[in-house]
Amino acid sequence: MTLEGLLARARLALALRRARRGAGSGWDEDYPLGEIVERALRGRGALYPRGYGSRVYGARVGGGCPPRIPVMDYYLVLAPPAFTPGRLERMAELFREPIYSDVSLESSIGGFRVRLPVATASMGSTAVASRYSLAIARGAARAGITFAIGENVATVRGYDRRLTRGHPSFIERALAYLEALEGPYGGLVVQQSVEDAYDELWNRVYSDPRLDPYIEEGLLAFEIKVGQGAKPGLGGVIRIPREQAERMRRKYHLDLEPGSAYATRYSVPATFTEDILRGMIRNMKTAYPRVRIWVKVGGMRDALDVIRVASEEGAHAVVLDGLEGGTGMAPKGALDHLGLPTLSMLAVIAEARRRGYTVDLLLAGRLYTGFHLVASMALGASGVYLGRPLVIAAAAAGARGVERYLESIAVEAQMLASALGKYSLSDLSPEDVAALDPHVAEALGVRYALKPWAPSGRGGGLAAPPERQVEPG
Amino acid sequence: MGDPLWVGVGVCGKTEVRLHPAVLELERMAGDREGFLSFLREWARYSWRWAGEERYRLVFRVEAAALRAMREYLDSHGFTEVLAPIVGPVTDPGIRGAKQATIDFYGYEYKVMSSAILYKQYMAASLGRMYFLAPNIRLEPLDSAFTGRHLAEFYQLDLEIRDASYEDAMRVAEELLYHVVKRVAEEYGRELEDTLGRSLEPRRPPYRRLRYEEAVRLARELGCRQPMGAEIRWECEKLLSAYMREPFFIVEYPRGARGFYDREDPSRPGVLLDFDLIYPEGFGEAASGAEREYEPARIVARMRESGEDPAKYRWYLEMLRELYPLRTAGFGIGVERLTRYLCGLRGVWEARPYPKIPGIAPTP
Repeated sequence: MTLEGLLARARLALALRRARRGAGSGWDEDYPLGEIVERALRGRGALYPRGYGSRVYGARVGGGCPPRIPVMDYYLVLAPPAFTPGRLERMAELFREPIYSDVSLESSIGGFRVRLPVATASMGSTAVASRYSLAIARGAARAGITFAIGENVATVRGYDRRLTRGHPSFIERALAYLEALEGPYGGLVVQQSVEDAYDELWNRVYSDPRLDPYIEEGLLAFEIKVGQGAKPGLGGVIRIPREQAERMRRKYHLDLEPGSAYATRYSVPATFTEDILRGMIRNMKTAYPRVRIWVKVGGMRDALDVIRVASEEGAHAVVLDGLEGGTGMAPKGALDHLGLPTLSMLAVIAEARRRGYTVDLLLAGRLYTGFHLVASMALGASGVYLGRPLVIAAAAAGARGVERYLESIAVEAQMLASALGKYSLSDLSPEDVAALDPHVAEALGVRYALKPWAPSGRGGGLAAPPERQVEPG
Repeated sequence: MGDPLWVGVGVCGKTEVRLHPAVLELERMAGDREGFLSFLREWARYSWRWAGEERYRLVFRVEAAALRAMREYLDSHGFTEVLAPIVGPVTDPGIRGAKQATIDFYGYEYKVMSSAILYKQYMAASLGRMYFLAPNIRLEPLDSAFTGRHLAEFYQLDLEIRDASYEDAMRVAEELLYHVVKRVAEEYGRELEDTLGRSLEPRRPPYRRLRYEEAVRLARELGCRQPMGAEIRWECEKLLSAYMREPFFIVEYPRGARGFYDREDPSRPGVLLDFDLIYPEGFGEAASGAEREYEPARIVARMRESGEDPAKYRWYLEMLRELYPLRTAGFGIGVERLTRYLCGLRGVWEARPYPKIPGIAPTP
């Protein structure tokens, strides 16, 4: 191995250690921490397997057990066509063969222009997400994607002033992001929990002179949390030092552990009915006319109803966060068993599109590659919503790590989309995806990959010679 | 001066929309946002300079006359004036996007009243007909500095009537307004014309009642983009106000646009039994009122619609349960907006000698 190769390997090992120490959980051992760290370090360089020139490669077929939860990587492939009229069209514009970098990534999600249809997940009150919040904010801003501040951040970490050592306040995070934005891209999304409502977080944001110029520019959204993937139906939970608990006694439900310096703090889950959600969106449109409205829902069985209500009331985006979604804290029973998987939320998205709902839909829950982005968008998602990968990338290599990680997603998505003959991610469609299992194919409304496609019979302008014509089957 | 100087600003079909010259002047000023903001900063920073001018001495006297007239009318119609609370654990949350001011009350966070609405219901239970004349604090979003209708600190007359419908409350509102305009016209009619060029014509009630849907349709006919089902936008309200020749009501707003205390019609889900009283000539909203929701279970659901935790409102919910059924109706009328209308002023910041304008500090 060359010296350079050795150095690269050492750097990776160090970054991996940082990420593992900073954000690794030891709980979900199969989470692709190494893959994300490599992308955070090498950006687009991480898109190829290592050892080029000296090895041969092929698809991984997965010789072990099938995963307990069906995931995209295991059950979906992309189905590229040989005939690509879309590429021909692009060639006519470019006067040359189009390549992957000609794929346009610029999109609009939830009322914001973005350079890549990726949204940063709402997070940041637990210590781990809080610690990396500024790096994620700056990385997201430079990459031109949206950034979010989760519930309880202002209440627990402070709105203006830091309430806890080493954890940036709400306004620090907001301004770190907004001030690093370049061009017309991005948007800040702010969640408010029931307890934040006690402090009127949204009203405070809406009347804050430091944020007003950005509100005026249309760069702010408020996110209604109906649920989250890792613990749908449960409120936020964190452990906090006892003296901090005393301060929050009146706003939160607390378990003060006898003899311990810590207390467990519970947020209440907000109660919703169809009417409450509808009324809430209307109230927000009245109270905050210059702000976009996002709704986040976990792997809940009536997610399609949430989409319907959000769509009818004119919300700007709905986030669908599956069972595998990340979190800073949740009971094990919820992590493994509470909620429907991400793939099931993707099926909900595909169904919502068949029903004609046009509201932006973002998929979330253990997504971390360009393939995930392309497959989600092919089935109707407007983009993906990433949390854990950005925390890990920040832990491994700071804001630059977040940027490089996002670059790897962007380039990978461009490569895959171009192979499908699509030069804008919004042109992707369900025909671009096939399932390796007939049940999954049926659930998602896509082709079963092993069954041959019938010839299209569409033909071109030229007819085949008469003696060679075959009836389309 | 005789006839007021009407200015046509737009003709949509056969309808003419006419803004009072002061409102038109405000529009002109607010067109240059930066210039207007620096004007407002000067205005608020050195308020003692203009507060002594002849025209503003008249404005303050007219305001005093209006307050006298309101008390005179209400006191002779069975109402009792009650002194309002100043702080409490909760206050009126039904204020579009404005932040409440808080104080530390012996370790508890208390709010400065954004309106005393939650308290007037139980005082109506006690006295039958009551009113507060009280200051309110609302830290409004910064864009409301441009409306001419928003102050962060203002006074309001807030009244409530036990066992009344929203129609009863509307009748009180229109009679009250008529009485005030008549009194002020009698006492200061000439001076208003001479000094401020304002000619006041008391218009006898009843005033026209526009159902919410009718108001939206009319606003659209006048060329204003107004989604059905949403709160009427300031721009559209101003246009409607400029189209009408006398005060009028918009009634029965859709649920979702108002505070949890406006009662939903049990026989028409989604329709609230509430109203706004609107001044003509582009001066916009005068008063806002409703029949009150009194079923605790319905209120709890409505609180959730505004993202609120019902636990915050525990005393209020307990009070409603103990005094069940506490059927009341009432309204609040802003004093500075009334003065602005009576005197034909550009903004409410002319009706207060030490105006607190959203986002503008420091000031006296």
